[in-house]
Amino acid sequence: MKPANFAYHRPGTCTEAADLLYRLRDDVKVIAGGQSLLPLMNMRLAEPAHLVDVSAVPELRRTDLTAEGATYGAATTHMMFEHQLVPDVADGLLSHAARGIGYRAIRNRGTVGGSLAHSDSSAEWPTVMSALGATVHALSVRGERRIPVTEFLLGFFSTALADDELITAVSVPRIAPGTQWGMYKMARKPGEFADSLAVVQVRDTGASTPAVSVWLGAAKDVPLRLKHVEKALADRPDRSLLPADLSGPLAADIGADTATASPHDRHALQLHAVTVHRALMAVGKAPHAA
Amino acid sequence: MPHDLTIALRVNGRKTEATFPARTTLADLLRDRLGLTGTHLGCEQGVCGACTVFVDDLPVRACLTLAAACEGAEVVTVEALEGPDVEALRADFSREGALQCGFCTPGMLITACDLVRRREPLAREEIQEAMAGNICRCTGYNGIVRAIEKTVDARICAEGP
Ligand SMILES: Cc1cc2nc3c(=O)[nH]c(=O)nc-3n(C[C@H](O)[C@H](O)[C@H](O)COP(=O)(O)OP(=O)(O)OC[C@H]3O[C@@H](n4cnc5c(N)ncnc54)[C@H](O)[C@@H]3O)c2cc1C
Ligand code: FES
Ligand code: FES
Repeated sequence: MKPANFAYHRPGTCTEAADLLYRLRDDVKVIAGGQSLLPLMNMRLAEPAHLVDVSAVPELRRTDLTAEGATYGAATTHMMFEHQLVPDVADGLLSHAARGIGYRAIRNRGTVGGSLAHSDSSAEWPTVMSALGATVHALSVRGERRIPVTEFLLGFFSTALADDELITAVSVPRIAPGTQWGMYKMARKPGEFADSLAVVQVRDTGASTPAVSVWLGAAKDVPLRLKHVEKALADRPDRSLLPADLSGPLAADIGADTATASPHDRHALQLHAVTVHRALMAVGKAPHAA
Repeated sequence: MPHDLTIALRVNGRKTEATFPARTTLADLLRDRLGLTGTHLGCEQGVCGACTVFVDDLPVRACLTLAAACEGAEVVTVEALEGPDVEALRADFSREGALQCGFCTPGMLITACDLVRRREPLAREEIQEAMAGNICRCTGYNGIVRAIEKTVDARICAEGP
């Protein structure tokens, strides 16, 4: 199907975009890559009266690199991360994650800001950016503000962004020295959204057991930090937990009751346990940043 | 009522000016206004790949690209694919029986062309993965993957060490 009618606006700067969003706030949508919004509009699930296209705003394609990390413009495409056309401050994790998103034709247009604003927990960026402790930069006529990704994502298609606010960038802190990561995406076929998505970081702190963080996507409406799984891992420095060992703590993290869970929920729990296990096995194995 | 928009772009090497309602996708601009019906529309939600075209040298979904966003862009559709890579691809598609009804073929050719020009040796599984975003309703995937495998290898060899 085709989108319904709308008026099209193409600002050249962030300030201009924020002004438009404020003026049209009753019925306006930002469009960046269009790779989530246009399918919805084609199906008439979204019929905004105004579209503000930010794909021609040069500021939104900029990257600022500092000793602490990088600030990536909101319109940085998945493809730019994949091919490291922007520096990868997470030692290859950003590039690895981007490579798994959809298909090449989708990655060429889809953007990191659009993915975060869309807030689908089975997408790559929400989980990866939560795990990395990233921060969203937002702009409106009222000024700028910064929101940690974990506070930004509120639920399926729901974020802390106001109707007239624009995401301008996302800051990612440099992954700490001595950190190794592992990621695994479980999907029916390459390019599908995840049925489960796990990101593990293992940081050598000099102590007898390294610090481990484990994040899971596609289980709840927002990415989840798996505190019980992390605790189970703290007791096993070699991290040699099998899916069967993981499903207990995982159920506690997800809030599932294994005794009363439906077959569907038990299947989902099994998928997540296998996915976390595979992410653990992948720690330190993927290629590093160039 | 929203007004029509006018943009200037290049389509298949020709300077083009087009006027259309804002809701027009690149696919509809190409098919309905410019008569380039080689770009096919299957799902209109990014999944099938039939509408894949080059915009500024990158393959994109024409069904998920607003024509309005193509101001100043260089668009290449299946009608204008040319050069040794594409000739080899066409010949291998024909030899390997890589099309039946042909509906998916324009998108297959654009996506395959983007693979062949990389000059990267690709294992069969890597080609399958790279083509996962193009659906063939006639399900002739073996022929399609075989044809691309042959072209990728032949084009790397043709340039030799
Ligand atoms: C076939 C297909 C397969 C896909 N597979 C995957 C996958 O495996 N994994 C995955 O993660 N994603 C996948 N995607 C989604 C893709 O990653 C999208 O690119 C992404 O979700 C949205 O980015 P966008 O730039 O296209 O945003 P748009 O579609 O332009 O916008 C999406 C939403 O974000 C808002 N928005 C966009 N930019 C801003 C901004 N700067 N400020 C405020 N609001 C903004 C829009 O108003 C809209 O609500 C797939 C998409 C398709 C069509
Ligand atoms: S019609 Fe565009 S991807 Fe199917
Ligand atoms: S040849 Fe018929 S859809 Fe592919």
